[in-house]
Amino acid sequence: MATQDWPQKDRKLFSELLQAYESKTLLKGRKTADQILKKYPDHGETMCMKGLIMVHLGEREEGKALAHQGMLKNPTSNIVWHVWALIQKGERNFPEALKAYSVALKTDKDNFNIIRETSILQSHTRQYEALVESRLRMLQLRPYARAHWVGLGLAYKLQGNLAEANRVFTHLEAFLRSIPVRDPEYGELILFHIRILEEMGELQQALTLLDTNAKERRLVDRPAIVEFRDSAQKAEWTTSAEQSWRELIDQNNDCYDYYKGLLANSDIDLNNLTEASREKALQILGEFSAKKANAPQRLALTVAEGNARHTSETFKERVKPYLEHALRKGIPSLFSDIKGLYAKSEFKRQAIEEIVENIRSSEEATSPQPSSEPTYYLWTLYFLAQHYSYLQQYEKALGILDTALKHTPTLPELHMTKARVFKRAGDPYRAVQSMDEARKLDGQDRFVNTKSGKYRLRAGMLNEAEEVFGMFTRKGAATPGADLVEMQALHYLTEVANASERTGKLNIALKRCYQIRKVFESFRDDQYDFHQYSIRKSILNPYTAMLQWEDNLRSHPAYIHAAVLAARIWVMLFDDPTLANTIQQPEKATELSKKALNKAKKAAARKATAESTSQDNDDTSKQKAQSKIEDKGLDAPLAKEDDPDGLKLVVSDQKLEQAHEFLGTVVESGRDRVDVFVALFDVAIRRKQYLQAARALRRAHMLDAQHPEVHLRIVHFSREGQCRSTQYKSILDESLAVVKPAELTLEALNSQYLQLHSTSPPVILACAKVSQTLDASRNDVENILFTALGEDVKLTMKDALSILSHLQNLKSPRADEFRIACDAKYKLSTVFKSAEEQAALRLQCIEPLKDNEVETIF
Amino acid sequence: MRFWAYSSITWPEVSFLAEDENGKIVGYVLSSVELAEDYSRSWVGHINSLSVLRTYRRLGLANRLMDMSREAMMRASVQIEYIQLHVRRSNRAALSLYRDKLGYKFHRVEAKYYGDGEDAFSMRLPIRSGRPRVRQRRTWVAILAGYIISSPGRLAKTATRCVKGINSVS
Repeated sequence: MATQDWPQKDRKLFSELLQAYESKTLLKGRKTADQILKKYPDHGETMCMKGLIMVHLGEREEGKALAHQGMLKNPTSNIVWHVWALIQKGERNFPEALKAYSVALKTDKDNFNIIRETSILQSHTRQYEALVESRLRMLQLRPYARAHWVGLGLAYKLQGNLAEANRVFTHLEAFLRSIPVRDPEYGELILFHIRILEEMGELQQALTLLDTNAKERRLVDRPAIVEFRDSAQKAEWTTSAEQSWRELIDQNNDCYDYYKGLLANSDIDLNNLTEASREKALQILGEFSAKKANAPQRLALTVAEGNARHTSETFKERVKPYLEHALRKGIPSLFSDIKGLYAKSEFKRQAIEEIVENIRSSEEATSPQPSSEPTYYLWTLYFLAQHYSYLQQYEKALGILDTALKHTPTLPELHMTKARVFKRAGDPYRAVQSMDEARKLDGQDRFVNTKSGKYRLRAGMLNEAEEVFGMFTRKGAATPGADLVEMQALHYLTEVANASERTGKLNIALKRCYQIRKVFESFRDDQYDFHQYSIRKSILNPYTAMLQWEDNLRSHPAYIHAAVLAARIWVMLFDDPTLANTIQQPEKATELSKKALNKAKKAAARKATAESTSQDNDDTSKQKAQSKIEDKGLDAPLAKEDDPDGLKLVVSDQKLEQAHEFLGTVVESGRDRVDVFVALFDVAIRRKQYLQAARALRRAHMLDAQHPEVHLRIVHFSREGQCRSTQYKSILDESLAVVKPAELTLEALNSQYLQLHSTSPPVILACAKVSQTLDASRNDVENILFTALGEDVKLTMKDALSILSHLQNLKSPRADEFRIACDAKYKLSTVFKSAEEQAALRLQCIEPLKDNEVETIF
Repeated sequence: MRFWAYSSITWPEVSFLAEDENGKIVGYVLSSVELAEDYSRSWVGHINSLSVLRTYRRLGLANRLMDMSREAMMRASVQIEYIQLHVRRSNRAALSLYRDKLGYKFHRVEAKYYGDGEDAFSMRLPIRSGRPRVRQRRTWVAILAGYIISSPGRLAKTATRCVKGINSVS
C-alpha cells in the first residue's frame, strides 16, 4: 500500500520520520521508523530511511543492507533512490550515486535538490553533455538567481560549446544592474568571459570587454596582458605591453618570465640569439643592474657570449663580481644556480673554474693569518667541491672537502656534499656515513633527516632508514612509514618501492606502488567539494584550472612509475611462482637493526600509553558533556590497513589481471613512454592477448625503434609466433613485419643490432639476453657481455651493475672476473665489492642510535 | 591536500611560489584571507605555511615571499585588519624573521598548538593604513595570480613535498 493511501495518522508519522532525519534527531527517527514498520513491515521508503539513519549511527553495513531491501520493495519511489544515492556518495562511489539520482529524477523531474546533486556528480565524473542538461533545467526552475546563469555558462564552457557559453555570459552581463565597483565576483566573471572570447579567437571583442570593464573599475584589475601580446593589435599593444612588463618587474624584480616577456616584446628570442639581439638584450638587462635584483644579472650571464673573442671578456667581467658577491654572502645555492651555464658552454665552465680557483689561491696566500672574511674562503671551497664533483673528479672534490672540514668541521653542508660525492662515485655506504654526520650536526632539520633516510634506502638499508624517518613522523602512528603514507609523501613511497624491489622485498615494493595509486585517487576525490563551492563563490578561472590539473593527474611521473614498477613485479611473481612463498618467510633482522628497532618500538609504546591516557581523560570528559548519541555522518570511514607489507597482495591469483588493470590507467597519460608499452607488452603476451601485445609492441617501436628493451620484445614476439593462435595470424604477421624485416632470422637481427650499437652497454646486455634465448652457449653470451669492458664503451656504473647481476643470474663462473674488473675501474666505488665485503661495510657505516637519541628527538 | 586546494583556489592571488631557473620549486608561502575568529566581521590575512628549501637559504626568499603575500593581501578585494601567523616557540630563526625583519608583534601563546605538544606564539602584523594608495595599475596581481592559477597543481605538488625536507618555518 502506498503512503498516500494510509490513514492520516500514519502519514503524519512518516513525515515526522523525514523531519527527524532532516533535523538529525537520529534516535527519534529510528524509533519512528520502527513504529511504522510494525504496522507496514514491507514499506520500502521507511526501510530506506531507517537504513540511512543507521548508517549515520555507525551501523553502516546493516543500514546499507536494509536500505537495499527497501529499494527492492519500492523501486519506483524517488525517496528510496535518493537514500541510495546518499549512501553511495558517502562511500565515494560517485558513478553509482549518479545512477541512483538519475532514477530518482525520472519520477520527480523537477526536484531542484536532486538536480543540483546530479549536476555536482556530473561535474565530478566529467559528463559534460549531461551537465549542460541539468544546468539548463536548474536555470529554468530558478531563472532569477545569478548563480544558475553562471553555472550554465560554465557547463557550456566545459562541454566545449564556447558560442553558447559566450551567449549566456553576454546575456547575464546585460541584465546585471548596479554592480559595486571592484566587486570581485563580477570581476572574476568578466575575466572568465574574456578567456572564452579569447579561446574563440574573438580577440577584438575580448579586448573591448576588458577595456570597458577596466574603465568602469569593474575588474579587480587583472587583465591578461600576457595572453594578448600576440593579438591582432600588436603594434598598438607593444608600447603598453612594454609598460606593463616594466610595472611587473617593478613589483617582483626576480621573476625570469617578466624579463623574458620584456625582451620578447622587443623581438628578442632568447633561444635564438643573433649578434645584434644579444647586444640589445644585454643592454636592456643592464638597465636593471642598479636595482637589487639577481634575475637580470643571472640572465645576462646566460645571454653573454662565451667563445667569440671580443665578447669573451664581457662574460668574464660579468661573472666575476657575480661569483664574488655570492661567495662573500655565503649563498649555498650558488653552484646549482651557476651549473646551468656549464652544459651550454665549455668556455664558460673554464672561465668560472679559473676565477674561483684564483679566489682560493689568493685566500690561501693570506693564511695562516685569517682573512677578514673567513667564510669567504669556506664557501669558495664548497663551490669548488661541487664543481669538481659535477665534472666527475671525485677525488679532487673529496680533497677539497677535507680541507674545508678542517677549516670548519661543523657545517652540515660540507658533509652533505661529501655524501653526494661518495654516492656518485659508487660508494653508498660512506655516503650514508657522511650524511649521518650532517644529520647529527643539525638534528632539528628535517631536510637533512630526510636526506639521511633516503641515502640509507639507496644503500638498501630499509629498516635503518625507517629509524631515521621516525625522528620526525607523528609519534602516534603505527610506524614511521604509516605516517608518511598518510602524509601522501610520494617521494618517500617511490624511494621505498625502488629500494624494496632492488633488495628483493617484492611485497613491500608492490604495496608501495598501490599506496602511490591511492594517493592519486584521493587527490581525485578531493575535488568533489569544489564543484559547487566554486560556482557559489564565482571562482571560475581557478576552478577550471583545477579540473584540468585533476584530468592530468595520471601523467605525474610518480604515478606512471608506480604503474610500470607494479606491472614488472607482477610479471616477476607470475614467472616464478615460488617467489611469493619465499617472501612469506620472516626475514632475519640483523643484530644491529633488531636492537635499534626494539628501542624505537619501546619508545613508541611509551609515547602511545602516555597519549592514550591523556586521550582517555579527554574522552570521559567529552562523554559527560554530551550524552547525546554521536552522528557519524555519511562518509565511510577509511578502511583499516590490514596488509601493510603487501604479504596478502603478492599471493593474489590474479597477478596478470591486476597488472593489466593498473597499467590500463596510464595508457593514455603515458602514451609517449616506451617503458609503459614495454610493460603492457610483457603483461599481454603472458595473458596470451596477442593482439594487445602486438599493439603495445608497435607503439613502443614507433616511440623508439632502437631501444634495447624494444629489441628484446621483438624477439620475444617472434618466438612466441609458433604457438600463436591462427585466428589473427595475418594481423599478427603484419605487425611483426613492421618491427622486423621478414627475411631476417632472429640471429641475424640480433647481430646486426649489436653491430650498430656495439658501444652501448644496454644494447650489449639486451643482445646477450637474446642470444641466450636463441640457445647460444654460455661462453658466447659471456663474451658478448664482456665487450662492455672494452675501451671505447662508455660504461656507467648503473649499466655495469645490471650486467653483473645478469652474469650472476646466469651463474656464470666469470661473474667475479667482471666484478673485480669493475671494482678496479671505478676507484672509489664499493658497489663492486663481494657480497660479504658489502655486508660488512653496511654494518660499519652507521653507529647504532645512542640510548637517548630515540627519546630526545620526539 | 584538500586544505591546500581550498586556499589556492579561493585566494590564488595571495600565495606565492619561489622557483629556480628550471622551474624547480624551492620555496612557497601559502596564505588565505578569512573572517576573524572573534565574529567581529573583520577580515584577517593568514600565513598558513612558509617554507624555503634548506639549500636555497640566505637568498632572502622567505622575506621576499612574505612581502609579496602581504602586499597581495592588502590589495585583496576585502579590507583586512591584520595578518596573523603561528610559529613554534622553539623556532628562533623564524621568530626573528617575523619580529625583527617583518615587524610582527607578539599576540599570545597558544598552548600545545602543534601535534607534538609544542606551544605556538600567535603573532600579528596590523595593517593600519587599510588599503594603500594605488601607485600604479595593479596589473601584477593579475599575472602572478594567473601564474599560480594556471598551475594550482604546483601548489599541490609542494604539499606532497613538504616532508621531502622543506623545513617548515611557520
